[in-house]
Amino acid sequence: MESDYPLISEEEKDILQEIMNIAFGKAAAELAEVINIFVVLNVPYVKVLQAEELPEYLLYEVRDFSNISIVEQNFWGKFKGSAFLVFPAGAGKGLITMLDPDHETSFESGSIEVLEKETLMEIGNILIGACVGKITELLGDVVTYSPPKVVVENKPHDILPNKLFDPEYTAIVMKTLFRFDERNVNGFLFLVTTHESVAWIKQALAEFLERYE
Amino acid sequence: MTRKILIVDDSPISRKMLKSCLPKDEEYELHDAGDGLAGLEKFREVSPDVTFLDLTMPVMDGVEALEEMKKHDSQAVIIVSTADIQVKSIEKVTALGAFLVLKKPPTKENVKDALLKAYEFLKESHGI
Amino acid sequence: MRNSLNGMNELSQILDSINLGLVILDGELRVTYWNRWMESHSGIPAEKITGLPLFDFFPDLNTPKFQRSCKYVLTFGNFAFFSQKLHRFLFPFRPDSSFESGMEYMQQSCAMGPLRNEDNSITGLYLTVQDVTELAAYEHRLLEMNMRDGLTGVYNRRFLEKRLEEEYERHTRYSRVFSVIMFDIDYFKKVNDNHGHLCGDFILKSISGKVLSLIRKTDFLARYGGEEFCCLLPETDLASAMGLAERFRAAVSDMKHLYQETEITVTISLGVAQMVPGLTSSTTLLKMADEALYEAKRTGRNRAVSYPRPNPIPAE
Repeated sequence: MESDYPLISEEEKDILQEIMNIAFGKAAAELAEVINIFVVLNVPYVKVLQAEELPEYLLYEVRDFSNISIVEQNFWGKFKGSAFLVFPAGAGKGLITMLDPDHETSFESGSIEVLEKETLMEIGNILIGACVGKITELLGDVVTYSPPKVVVENKPHDILPNKLFDPEYTAIVMKTLFRFDERNVNGFLFLVTTHESVAWIKQALAEFLERYE
Repeated sequence: MTRKILIVDDSPISRKMLKSCLPKDEEYELHDAGDGLAGLEKFREVSPDVTFLDLTMPVMDGVEALEEMKKHDSQAVIIVSTADIQVKSIEKVTALGAFLVLKKPPTKENVKDALLKAYEFLKESHGI
Repeated sequence: MRNSLNGMNELSQILDSINLGLVILDGELRVTYWNRWMESHSGIPAEKITGLPLFDFFPDLNTPKFQRSCKYVLTFGNFAFFSQKLHRFLFPFRPDSSFESGMEYMQQSCAMGPLRNEDNSITGLYLTVQDVTELAAYEHRLLEMNMRDGLTGVYNRRFLEKRLEEEYERHTRYSRVFSVIMFDIDYFKKVNDNHGHLCGDFILKSISGKVLSLIRKTDFLARYGGEEFCCLLPETDLASAMGLAERFRAAVSDMKHLYQETEITVTISLGVAQMVPGLTSSTTLLKMADEALYEAKRTGRNRAVSYPRPNPIPAE
């Protein structure tokens, strides 16, 4: 494949991996404070792909989930793009009790569908904000976010977003396992970003490491 | 005096970052390992003055390595370095005998500070 | 206490004239800024509220979710969102337009973000309040239209099938009894042929309106086909459903429709069925009612027949 676009070198990938480790560790701590329970975010497995390769990669990764839920949120700063959080279907229901252990809100908001969506959005906003926020903080940027959107419980083939197919975009996939108290919720976070952002990331990673020379 | 320091972390970048934060005005004999098991072996072999231990590692994770190291030498100074600074995580490793918890990413200040505390302790407990 | 932005001329003008609510809170959730939009919609002047806790004036805002969001923004500098769909509104204000929506309160889409000072530490948060009542009303209308039959205004087939499915679920889980009435207009094709389709439409509207007036709030009337209707009756057994079907029949046969100086009368035939345990799906119930309807047609029309025991009630 011809490459006009900036690539990520092995060393840059290592630095990115370490940044992710740190970011996810901090995100877990943040989350725990906000939702008041013990959170474990396993070390994410980081992979950099061209956007065209992403659908195939994702379909393979979600092959065991018959249905998935996705939370999408856009962010912009020097680092700009879209973040996607992918959960297996039913995760929303399991997460509801987390945000509301005493069932205070119960079903005021209407059906369980609405409550599930609300929970996914809130957790999604927190997780994406924590992860993307920490990464950009470590690399010296401040980003703004769009409100999160949820697509709930659809088959994988139907809802993978179009922008993934645009060859102009690069994808950074972080596969991690979210564990909330004793509950395991498998999830993926992946970021789709532009070439300008990738160029910025390379620069920022180099500067980050320079502080440790 | 030359201090023996062992750094156990699966990320070469992380090890590099920590090394660069060590105070420049001291002498060190540096050792490192890339997973918990190798770290434990090095620990037994070298008997370092201070060990920096990452928590999330393959083969044997930091928590298990910590337990084993403490079994081998209950007075060992082991500094857990992690980005996950939840109160529960800190409590857990402290209960297992971690000397202190160092927040990632390391800075020259927090590493220097941690080492000073470690040396204090070593002086008092071992007279070194 | 006065608004803290008084000194900044142009910015101040914008913030006081835009069609957006803006509130600034400090770390203790006391109001430090309350723009003119907030003043006019709340009836609370800035001088009265600045310096005081937000919850003193809006105690209902003090929910776990709101507190959690504030904490999240203040501690980590990220954003929090309150969408209209899930929250409807944060501040209970009257809608701007009197003619609008049928909504009792203004629908709002809100967002919260951090405010930092020079050394980048977070000193407070801002809350934006956007009036989306018109949008919400429009969506509501769209949803309604999606559920309704354009001509008669009763529910459409899609909605009925959905509702029927839900009733079926309820029956299987809690054994709640329910029934359906299927009815159609006798010799409707003749009406269209003799008086035109517009007349046919007129008759459809009149009849559905009449039947609507005879059912309870909890019942559902839907147009199932061209001249076919289906009525879903929760918490109703066969006997009551038959009684109701007979009332429909009688009322419709009594109607004299006046269309362009011509008086027309029509009758309806009805099939009634009650949900019984063991049916594999909700559509089976419809089939049962349909068969009963067919029986009504076969035995002379202008009558109600139930399934399984054909029990025709003869016309007057």
